[in-house]
Amino acid sequence: MKTLGSTIALIGLIGSLAFPAHADDIKIGVIQGLSGAPVVVDFGESYLQGIEEAVKEYKAAGGKHNIQLIVYNDESNPQRAVQLAQRLIVNDKVPIAIGTVQSGNAAAFAPLFQEAKVPLMVGPAIATDITAKFANEKPSYIFRCSMVEKYQVEALLDWAVKNFKKIGLVHSTAGYGIFAAGEIKKGLAERGRELVAIEGVAPGVSEISPQMLKLKNAGVDLVLNFTEQFELPYKAMSKIGYKPVVAGNWGLSSDMMRNIIGKEGMEGTVMGQAIDLSNPRAIDFDKKMKVAYGAKYRWPAVAALGYDGARLVLIAIDKAGSNPAGIRDALEATDNFQAISGTPPKPYSATDHECLDRRDVFLGVWRDGRVIKLAQ
Amino acid sequence: MQSIDLVQVVVSGLAMGSVYTLMGMGLFITFLTSRALNFGQGDFLMVATFVSMALALAGMPAILGIALTLVGLAGLGAVLERVAVRPLGQGGAGGADSLGWVLTTMGVGMILQNIVTLVWGKSKFYSPPLFGKGDKQIVEILGAGVFLEEILVAGSCLVVVAVLLWILFRTRWGNAISAVAFDKDTASLLAIDVKKTIMLSYVIMAVLAAICGILVGPIVSAQAHMGLLYVLKGFAVVCIGGFVNPVGILIAGLAFGLVEAFSNYFDSSLGDLYPFLMVLGFLVARPSGLFGEGRMDLR
Repeated sequence: MKTLGSTIALIGLIGSLAFPAHADDIKIGVIQGLSGAPVVVDFGESYLQGIEEAVKEYKAAGGKHNIQLIVYNDESNPQRAVQLAQRLIVNDKVPIAIGTVQSGNAAAFAPLFQEAKVPLMVGPAIATDITAKFANEKPSYIFRCSMVEKYQVEALLDWAVKNFKKIGLVHSTAGYGIFAAGEIKKGLAERGRELVAIEGVAPGVSEISPQMLKLKNAGVDLVLNFTEQFELPYKAMSKIGYKPVVAGNWGLSSDMMRNIIGKEGMEGTVMGQAIDLSNPRAIDFDKKMKVAYGAKYRWPAVAALGYDGARLVLIAIDKAGSNPAGIRDALEATDNFQAISGTPPKPYSATDHECLDRRDVFLGVWRDGRVIKLAQ
Repeated sequence: MQSIDLVQVVVSGLAMGSVYTLMGMGLFITFLTSRALNFGQGDFLMVATFVSMALALAGMPAILGIALTLVGLAGLGAVLERVAVRPLGQGGAGGADSLGWVLTTMGVGMILQNIVTLVWGKSKFYSPPLFGKGDKQIVEILGAGVFLEEILVAGSCLVVVAVLLWILFRTRWGNAISAVAFDKDTASLLAIDVKKTIMLSYVIMAVLAAICGILVGPIVSAQAHMGLLYVLKGFAVVCIGGFVNPVGILIAGLAFGLVEAFSNYFDSSLGDLYPFLMVLGFLVARPSGLFGEGRMDLR
């Protein structure tokens, strides 16, 4: 009888090891731009890689809950993004969601999450007002773990006005480019300066030598590159023999830029940045992601923010389970967080739902084929 | 505007205009024989860009890579005609003139986009320069920098127009194409193989798209959806030139490229608006195009 009892106990023990009892299964909804313009896909895939890596590590470490990622592709379409958000809230009943690339799409579905009282971790969209719109809600369910356009532009302009006499802008004439151009003009005016030349690039245009000639003739020594096809100005510059300093969107830190333009072409390009690849934690992350995703891993800054955003979500879920309001509160309360990106130990508070603040955003520069922190 | 700028803008405009001309020429040649346009022609260009890029990155000599790409795309053109145009009655003698080819040619184009996405992913790429590396590919003309590929595409455009004129109006093949364009039943009675003639026109279309694809790859960024704007601009060009004569298409293509370049120089904020306004204005004034007379020019 004693032997039988021991056997049953042993079977029970083995069973508990083989099938660890999870408190519950928890779904995390993810909406990302995974098709459409290449730049959107680069952002969406990179951010998703970070999310997947965080969940993989959580599971490998025997996480408290059985996390299930429900990933939807919004196809860069605001209408579809809204439909997917409704699907996540109503059908999938997720207690939290993460997404998406395009600021317009994120801004379109953020009110749905706020109304449903389901936390939304915005990323990698960067338009300034996505979280700010909900700042007066008591409480706001909209958080972000991504670059913030305003801080990126401020960091660039603070540096630009100190170092350059003639600043010019080449920007996309689509939504994001127009928005960025507005922020840049406003920011420069606040610093008592103005752009000496502004050139537009229509979506789909493949040759912009005429625009770059205008910047060259205006004597522009710093070209702010806020196009959606980041590589276009470089090709034109090499053709017309024009060598200004180029600075711009954090998109310029993508490894795809080095692959397309070449190491020499990118040398000296400056961009808003949120990951310091000389930091040991960031170095480890970078190595780990290269092993996990190979050539498909191309954008450390975006992947790192996806990774940090997902880890913040997982920490909150560990504290609050599947209760959306509890997850929201836990996100605000999270402290001593060890980020890969520039995210501080206490990213959020009741009045701050941005993981990166102005002081966390710095400038990166391409030096010898990799992006390092710009010494200022 | 300084003279060196003028040269730079003109050269850029002529290079892009040459691409639009070649695309327009491809649309023209298939319309001539089958009364159908390949709306997936931009995707043929895209496939050629990716194939030539892959061969170059694999270390294949440029000439061999170009030849293989041209042969491969010629085969693809023949397949398109056989599976997406002929079954709809466009190729048969007296076949019904359905509009199904709009969907089938676009469908083939979408399949090509998806295949390229599966193989290369959704991101964008640059083809390495066809000849030389880095700045060595830039040639100076009257003080203006020009990519070697831009000179090649402009040169190819002129050669292609000359060759097409010769084929269409001085060879037996050209007579066959003209006969098929005039009336397929009559062409059959004259012992002309209508199906082969139509297939030949699709092969020519595909080769023209391949030439564009090979040459624009190193100039622009390659991605699976890059073809749409080229075919759209090629269509605008062939509408201005009129579906009758390669010379009209050449003039329209170069004019479109020049207007686009100058509009980008003088008012880049409105991008592509000016060349398309030119197209609209021109078509209102002359709906049949530059050399069009409301009928086919069969000589």
